[in-house]
Order: sequence, then C-alpha cells, then structure tokens
Amino acid sequence: MIRDRLYHDLTNRGVTGWVVAGLLVWFYVALYFTESLTPWAQRVGLSSKWDLYGLLYTVVVVVGGIGVIRKYGHNRYQVVRTAVVMFVQVVFAFSVPMLLKALHQPEYYLSYFWPLKFDYMNPEYLFAQPWPFVVYTLAASLVGVPLLGALFGKRWYCSWVCGCGGLANTAGEPWRHLSDKSSAAWRFERVSIHAVLGISLLLTALLFYSWFSGSKSPAVAQFQTWYGLVVGSILSGAVGTGLYPLGGTRVWCRFFCPMAALLGITQKAGKRFHIRVKEDMCISCGLCSKYCEMGIDVRTYAQRNESFTRASCVGCGICAEVCPRGVLRLENQSGLVQISGVSLS
Amino acid sequence: MRLVVVGNGVAGVTAAMAVRARDPRAEITIISGESEYFFSRTALMYAYMDVMQRRDLEPHERKVYREQRLERRLDWVVDLDAGERTVRLMGGESLRYDRLLLATGSRGRRAEWERELDGVVRFVTLQDLDACERLTPGTRRAVVAGGGLIGVELVECLRHHRVPVTFLVREASYWPAALSAEEGAMVAAHLRAQGVDLRLETEIASLEGEGRVSGVTTRAGERIACEMVGVTIGVEPNIDWLRGVKTPPKLARGVVTDRAFRTSLPGVYAAGDCAEVAGRIEPLWYAAKRQGEAAARAMLGDTVEYTPPTDYNSAKFFHLEWTGVGETAAGPGRFRKLPGREASVRVIEREGVVVGFSMLGSRWNHRVLARWVEERRRVEEVVSRLPEAQYDGEFGRVAL
Repeated sequence: MIRDRLYHDLTNRGVTGWVVAGLLVWFYVALYFTESLTPWAQRVGLSSKWDLYGLLYTVVVVVGGIGVIRKYGHNRYQVVRTAVVMFVQVVFAFSVPMLLKALHQPEYYLSYFWPLKFDYMNPEYLFAQPWPFVVYTLAASLVGVPLLGALFGKRWYCSWVCGCGGLANTAGEPWRHLSDKSSAAWRFERVSIHAVLGISLLLTALLFYSWFSGSKSPAVAQFQTWYGLVVGSILSGAVGTGLYPLGGTRVWCRFFCPMAALLGITQKAGKRFHIRVKEDMCISCGLCSKYCEMGIDVRTYAQRNESFTRASCVGCGICAEVCPRGVLRLENQSGLVQISGVSLS
Repeated sequence: MRLVVVGNGVAGVTAAMAVRARDPRAEITIISGESEYFFSRTALMYAYMDVMQRRDLEPHERKVYREQRLERRLDWVVDLDAGERTVRLMGGESLRYDRLLLATGSRGRRAEWERELDGVVRFVTLQDLDACERLTPGTRRAVVAGGGLIGVELVECLRHHRVPVTFLVREASYWPAALSAEEGAMVAAHLRAQGVDLRLETEIASLEGEGRVSGVTTRAGERIACEMVGVTIGVEPNIDWLRGVKTPPKLARGVVTDRAFRTSLPGVYAAGDCAEVAGRIEPLWYAAKRQGEAAARAMLGDTVEYTPPTDYNSAKFFHLEWTGVGETAAGPGRFRKLPGREASVRVIEREGVVVGFSMLGSRWNHRVLARWVEERRRVEEVVSRLPEAQYDGEFGRVAL
C-alpha cells in the first residue's frame, strides 16, 4: 500500500487533491468542448486532439500499470490482470486504431463495445461499415459481452479489458480508497446506473426504429446529442476521471456506466463469479472495504460468513490481496454450495 | 428485557445484536469508557500504519445502532449491585438490568520491571494507539519486549514508520507456543529481512530514564538506548474493576462462568476475553464473537452448553501469513519447507493420527484442516489430500 496515502494531501482530498481534480476537469472540458488541444497535438506530429488524448491515456496506463505490478508483484492475479489491461490499452485501444487511421481506414476500437461505445450500435453508423466489423460488433456486444459476463463475471471486461477500468486500476491506484462505502451510496448507485442503462437502451431502440422506418424525428436526433453530451462527455470524462482525487477511481463505472450495469446483471444472473468468504476467520479489520474501489462494504459480508456476488464488483481482487487473514477469494464456479465452509462444487 | 452490556468490544456488541435480532422489544444499553463505537481491535495496527483511519475501524455503520436501538454510554462502570440489579457509572447514572453481560475483554499484562515513564506503551486500546502515534515522531529507536502476535504487530507498525526496532523475545525460538523451531527460524529470518533487530533469549531487567524512557538494560547487562518501549508480554482478563464493587462475581483468572456464561451472580453473565468459561479463557477475536453469540442465546433463555470447537488461529508476520489448527505445539510433526518460496507446511500427528497443522507463507482453509483433525484422519491420507485445503488465490496456487 502506498505509504501514508490516507494522510497525503493528494490522496486524501487535501488541497492538492482538489487542485488536481480541478485540472483534470478543466482538461476534459478543454478536450471535449474546445479545440485548444489541437495545436499541442500537431506540435507532436499527431493529426487530432483525440490522438493526443489516446497517446497520453496509454502512457499513463502503462506507467501506472508498471507501478501496480511492482507493488503487487507477489500476487499472480494482480500481475496477470494488470499486464492484460495494459496490453489491451496499448494494442487495441491505441495502436490498432492509429494504424488503421494511417492506412486511411476507419478507426475501430475493438476493445470497446455497446453500450459503452454507444455509436457502435447506432444502425446508421454500424451498417455503413464493412461487414466483418458489423459481424464483430453485433456478435461481441449482443452475445459475447453478456455471455462472458455470465461465465466469468463482469471482471472479464471491467478490470481486464476496459480502458476506463484500465486507467482506474493503474494510474488511479493511489485513489482507490476514496470510494464511498455508505449504504446511501449503494442505494444511489442502484438507481443511477440502471437509469443510465434504461436511457441508453431506449435511445438505441429509437435509433433502430428510426432506421427501419426510414425517418428520424428531430426529437430522436436531439436525444442522441443530449446523451452524447451528458453521458459520453460529462459523466464518463469530466466526472468519471476528473473526480479521481475526490470520489475515487470508479465514479463513472459504479454510478453511470451502462455497460457495467448490463454486465452486473449478467454477473448476478450467471451465479458463477463470487467472492468466497472463509468461515469464522474474519477479524473485521475492514481493509477489504477500505480498498474496494467500487465502494462495496466487503467487511459486512466477511464478518457474517457470507460468500457473495455483488452486481458492482469488478473482480479487481484487491480485497483478497489486502485481507490479512486470507479470508476472501475470488472464485468462478457454479453455485455457492458449501457445507461448513467446504465447497462441494 | 432490560439488557446492559459492559464493554463494547466484539463479544459485547455481537451479543447485543444477537439479542436484538430475537427480541425486538428488549431495552439494550452498551457501556464503554474506551470508545463511543465498537471498533475492530485487531485493526489497531492498520490505523497505526496509516492504511486505515479511526472511523474505518468501525465494523458497522453508525446508523446501525440507531436502527437496532442499541443505546450507547461513553462511561465507565464503577459499581455493580446484584441485589438491586443495578450498575452505577462514573458519571453518576445508575442503570437497572434484568440481564447484565460483562464483556470487558483483556488488558495488556504488566511486566515486573515496568515503571511509570512516558514512552512505555502497550498496544491493546485506542488510548494505546493515541500514545504510540504521539510518541513515534520523537523516537529514534524503539524496543519491543515480548514475541507474541501483538508484539510483532507493533514492530511492523514501527518499521512502517521507519523507526529502528529492537525486538526482545524471551524464548530461544520465535513464538514456540505455536511454531516449531524451523518455523520460528523462518519467521525470525523474515523479521530480520524487514530490518528488525530481533534478539532471542533476551529479556529486559530494568528501564532507564526520568520522565521519559531513555533506554533499557537487558538481563545480560546490555544497555539499549531507546525512546519507546513496547510491552507486549501477553494479555490478561480485564477484571480488576470488579474486585471493588458491592457484589463482585466469583473471580479466578477471569470472571468465572459455567458453559452457559452464567457468573455466580443471578442475571449476570460474562463472555469474551474476560470470561473464564468452565475453567478456560479464550483470548481470541473469533472466540469472543462465538461466545457473544452463545451468551446472547443463554440470556434469552435457551439451553446453552458452550464447548469450544477445534482450536484455530491465523496471523501475519509482516508479509508472512500463518494458519494454525489443532495442537500446533504438540510436536515437530512432519515439516516441509516448500521449494523456492518462503513457505512451509507442518502436519502434527500422534500415533499416526493427525492432531494439528501449522502452515506458513500460503493460504489455507482452516475448516477443512479442522475437519480432518476432528475425524481423526491418518497422517498419510491427510498429507496426500492437502491440496484440498489450499486457499491460494487464482493463478497463485502454491505447489506443495
């Protein structure tokens, strides 16, 4: 754990933390709503501000990831998971799109799926693409994502592949403890994240309806613009990343991401991924809860000897890592059949 | 029922909550002079190491006490009148009870060489934590005396703050109460690798200094200059306060109770570290929780015949995790250091039957191990089935 992180100004909502949050929000506002970053991009030989953003993002993920691997080097799960998330960022979220662009092809981000990458399920856009991409997107978004979610839990995406999760679990590591653990936050989360999911499903349905009927009403177009602004720019960018030093690293993932909501549902329904609690060994120290980036009060389950699956759990595995009594274990199997703590499955 | 609980540690609060779960109408009051809210004593070290804040040590959200109508008093009990069925608080208030639960836990044992000097600390209470935090910045070296689990935790905290530590252990090998000589040597090597100046077979003879401690002299006559001395030579039931009350319950090493946690006084029960249940004291977090639940059942009128399950415990020596089950000190057993890593397994047997396990450096499911002990399995069978009890994380399965 980072030495004295709870008392460091930067990682404990001190003045530096607020200043950094302000700078991050300012950066995202500049990125999304102005062209002020374009000259900087051109100065380093990149054609657009988005390329510059992608480069910066990737560098930060790689540097942070190296730090995480050094810190948790004794834990194979953390090493493998972090290496994968770095690899996906470098290859699929940066190099492949840049290469495609250099070859004058459309930039495809093969590690992003609907409903996180909302446009990929906009029929107007999707069906204008070459057929391999159409097949990949439909198969991945509609079958692959939920199926893998049911089989392995949402972690396969949220903490192994996704760029948002990738940033949170690498460069965001020093702020992970700032997530709100209160039951009030949990209640808010269940409403907010499913509301965003509902809105994104509704909008997708409207877009398909418009496309089939051949006429798009101005209201739907406005809805689409509004969704892009609020969800895409403000919530996932400025709020999600900008508030790292204030609300922890998973504000977007926990409260707003429609893909996380969908994966959470499949994780619960799949009943395979769970956090196993070793019976009667918890000392209620609370390190698990403190360092849960999703704000899950893990200790409540552990001290009740209750193995559990929470929709929000991204399976980062830090609770199991910090537990000083080895109580917690991420498991992936069917059922939660236990007889006095011994799993039969 | 009017239930008054003295002590808001794990035994007392577990009992209060268990009573509430079954009796929605009970009036429940929990008294503690140490802290306003129940906190995890086992996590004191994480607060000292600055990886947790004080508030994080509380296992329940504060609103839980409101929701469950558990009244709290930040005060000390100074008198107990079993005839009147009242306890009197230092603040003057008297509380009537139908059932009284004494759950005042343990306190750090005093050494015979101790003197009232600033800089001499224990590591059991929140106030101890306050003292440690206050003293750390002015400490160039600390001496910790006593090689139990609290001792090694205090050492780890001090090392975390980069304070040089001399760790004095009376025994010839580290923690012989549970570890074999080989395991003791592994832990000792691990501690030394963390920069701990570990001295085995060394005890303090006297303290030096006026006002604040300035050093210790060992029995061998060596003088070690230091500004902090940690006294971690074990804990004992915190029962002295009961000696002077109007009607003391029967006391031996702890508050004497039967297997239903009844003391010698009517309506008065005791559980947790302060209780000597059928002649036995179990000063462990897990046991206190278990006893709190069982005492609640007894106070609600159930027939309770408390029998402790197979012993188990766990610990962490800096980065080295340990799981022990059964009679870990019953003999050297079949010990094996695992190749290529700081880990070992030890299966303890008596006449070919397994009686205990001591596992260092990897994770184990104590439930499976305890079941093998309870089923009196043959050692050969258990050795071949050991992987069934492993509990390492994904991708991290340790090769035996």
